[in-house]
Amino acid sequence: MTTFIVRRLLQLPVVLLAISLVIFGMMQFLSPTERAATYAKSEQQAQHLDAIIRQYNLDKGFLVQYGTWLKQVLHGNLGFSKQSHEPVLTTIRKRLPVSAELALYLFFPTLAFGIWMGTMAAIHRDKLIDQIVRVFAIIGWSLPTYVMAIWLLAVLFGQLHCCGIGRVDDAIAVQIAEGKLKTYTGMITLDGILNGRWDVTLSGLKHLVMPVITYTFVASAQIMRVLRSSMLDVLNSDYVRTARAKGLPESVVNIKHARRNAIIPIITIAGLMFAFLLEGSFFIEIIFNFHGLGQWSVPAAVQLDFPAVIGIALLVGFSVSVANLIVDILYGIVDPRISFQ
Amino acid sequence: MKKHLLKILALSLVGTLAFAATGPDTYVQMTYGEVDSLDPAQAYDTASGAVLENIYETLYTYKGESITEYEPVLATSYKISDDGKTYTYKLRHDVLFHSGNRMTCRDVEYSIKRLLVTNPGDSAGWFFAESLIGYDGVNAKDYFGDKITQADKDKYWAAIDNSVKCLDDYTVQFHLIKKDPSFFVKMMYTAGSVLDSKYAIANGEWSGTKKDWFSWAGKDLRSGFLHNHDAGTGAYQLVKWDGKDVYAKRFIGYWDFAHKAQMENIIIKVVDEQATRIQALKAGDADRITVNDRATLETQIRGMANAKVLESDKWLGAGARAVFFNQKIAAKDNKLIGSGKLDGKGIPADFFKDVNVRKAFAYSFNQDAIIKDLYLGKAVPLTMALPPSFLGYDPNIPIYNLDPDKAEAFFKKAYGGKLWDTGFSMTIVYNTGNTIRKAVAEILKENIEALNPKFKISVKAMPWPQFLAAYKNGQLPALVLGWGADYADPDNFIYVFYHSNGYYAKKIGYSNPQMDKLIEEARSITDPKKRAALYSKIGYLAHDDVPVLPLPRPTGWMVLAKNVYTKGAPAGMDVYNNPMRSGSFLWKDIIKK
Repeated sequence: MTTFIVRRLLQLPVVLLAISLVIFGMMQFLSPTERAATYAKSEQQAQHLDAIIRQYNLDKGFLVQYGTWLKQVLHGNLGFSKQSHEPVLTTIRKRLPVSAELALYLFFPTLAFGIWMGTMAAIHRDKLIDQIVRVFAIIGWSLPTYVMAIWLLAVLFGQLHCCGIGRVDDAIAVQIAEGKLKTYTGMITLDGILNGRWDVTLSGLKHLVMPVITYTFVASAQIMRVLRSSMLDVLNSDYVRTARAKGLPESVVNIKHARRNAIIPIITIAGLMFAFLLEGSFFIEIIFNFHGLGQWSVPAAVQLDFPAVIGIALLVGFSVSVANLIVDILYGIVDPRISFQ
Repeated sequence: MKKHLLKILALSLVGTLAFAATGPDTYVQMTYGEVDSLDPAQAYDTASGAVLENIYETLYTYKGESITEYEPVLATSYKISDDGKTYTYKLRHDVLFHSGNRMTCRDVEYSIKRLLVTNPGDSAGWFFAESLIGYDGVNAKDYFGDKITQADKDKYWAAIDNSVKCLDDYTVQFHLIKKDPSFFVKMMYTAGSVLDSKYAIANGEWSGTKKDWFSWAGKDLRSGFLHNHDAGTGAYQLVKWDGKDVYAKRFIGYWDFAHKAQMENIIIKVVDEQATRIQALKAGDADRITVNDRATLETQIRGMANAKVLESDKWLGAGARAVFFNQKIAAKDNKLIGSGKLDGKGIPADFFKDVNVRKAFAYSFNQDAIIKDLYLGKAVPLTMALPPSFLGYDPNIPIYNLDPDKAEAFFKKAYGGKLWDTGFSMTIVYNTGNTIRKAVAEILKENIEALNPKFKISVKAMPWPQFLAAYKNGQLPALVLGWGADYADPDNFIYVFYHSNGYYAKKIGYSNPQMDKLIEEARSITDPKKRAALYSKIGYLAHDDVPVLPLPRPTGWMVLAKNVYTKGAPAGMDVYNNPMRSGSFLWKDIIKK
């Protein structure tokens, strides 16, 4: 397995290099003025556009620009993001913990709820519980994330005055800004514990309530549907019938024999889901005002903030590659028939 | 035990779910505009200005709501020489920077020289440079390019060095290259803020000497220390700017003890989604929010229990917007002008050179429709491209409005009558999401096509980068452009819109020697009455010449929590609103009742 992991990790720089070349190539289709648009958001700001183009070397050729970029990357500098008003690496360092914390809290409830619903629906096929779960899944599947998020915002926050937007209450945010709280991980709930400040952790959890409800409702439907159909196949297989004939309790047959074998497609979906969550869930971050990667990356792409776009693409490439590797390892653990050769 | 712990955690969480409104000494503003830089020499946008005007200070500033009355801040008095080229300011003796350093003339000298040395292309340095050193208002690297010689460098540095001098520790003198009546108000822009020179130099900013000045020329200051650190004297000091939200705290060493700020903490939050800002206001989580459009204001905000909408017919802002008729359209590879000829399938590059075409377009534009539909009746038409609160604005100049008969008559006169017979075809472009540009294009299309079936106007949306490229290349035949005031002087608008060398007028190829002469005269005298009379003349001439068609100006509004007020509000109003302040009012004036 070690050889397998090393081999896959060695492929990573090649993948990242390819990504950077593709994006650089795509940017060459835009004129220097179009690429300078991120530095001039109005005609008034555009009065010295030529100076801006010269300043950022936007009029230089592909090889010169790519060479300059690669050189600075090798020196640990991914460039400056106009969208975030700071170096790309600083932005990633600041925003990754925000999206990662959000990803952790969104991922596990969604996964657990989806698996539970899928199991229940498969076990009680065509019965009332199955019908209820399927209707729930269809609603969740068809409801756009932003609709659910805005509805929750209006009811829980606007009407009932609970939960809160952003990551933490203002009083705590001021303390964090003043440096009164040590930052260990950048994740509010974890840093609260590490600082011995339960109020900070609880405030962080309070602000996660609406994102978690939104995402769990919307995204668990996919897990449920896949697990239900995969489990139905397994429940009809010979070895499950054999297990039942041997007189094993129904719960053991369902969970240990049927679900364990039906879970492989869920691992694939979950791996990708976590990787995408790590890149930032745009609608959740925008509506609940989490300053994570999603809230930065989408406007950066729209504004053609090139250093940000390429920085984000490299991060996405990295996280998807790592997620795929973890998924492959999990396949082997869950199903011993899969080899790493 | 585990169960008990879980119960305690769950109960605590439920307890904290109950919401607490913003505190009595904390002011929370939610907006969508992001600060670009907190370096006064780099920032050239409203969001940055709204923070800078509170953590930094200039020598003088605007008084209350007025843009024609001023009050001293870091200076105590000033004097202008008889030739109008030397400005001498006496400085306060008792001013501390947030670092604890005492302010002297060296700090003023350093701040202005640093602005002139760096002057990045996307900053406000250009209008300081125009007054103090010339060189077209651009930095040394951009002015001379790659062929710069040592002699050029020496000459440029000498110009900077001579532009500002300390006569003693508390007297500073500025030497202008020529008379400029707007210099005094230019100095009130945030780029004219006084920096703590010792603190800045100690943290790696320009040394303040000739030794390293050229390496700082044209530098993007966003990579420097002052981009996200504060070296000011303002009533508030920066606690943190995380690239999005700004946290500031009242400065206990502030020189103006009589003007003690009530708010201890200021939080400016960037909340991109308008629905989120509205819900935050409703929940008591915000003291002021930005509302993008009047329709939302009327349907979702007005009547909200704990919020108030403040507005006034006088709140017209310090900006002007107009439809520009491009008299020298770039014809090469330009599909927007069709065949590029007057053959019914396109328009020639100088289509708008004929004043009859410009007048016909102006009479085809329905100002009332824009006011009624886009601004829900809350807007006033402009007689000239100048904010109504500015010196020289003449409300008596006639306004162009929809008049199909007159439009037809001018179209029939255009090109000696040929245009009416052959017709024309052109495309008006707007950048995606820009509702004003879209509405103007659609109104012109509808009214002009109704006059003659041979007149064809297409309306097309473009993403901002492509729109900007087409604008820069001069390919757009007719377009809407806006200008926000940098300083409260009519020259900041009139020169840009109407002078043949002005930024916009040059772009559209408009040139009228009589107009240039009047503008030159108005920018070289200081008597406000004489200047106002000249600007009125310019307004009438612009009406006859119609190089641009001024668009209606919407009245402004502010959405605040019910308990928020400011000191110095005019009678009958809860807050003051100065159009030259990016944040409308200063944080130190906020009161919560």
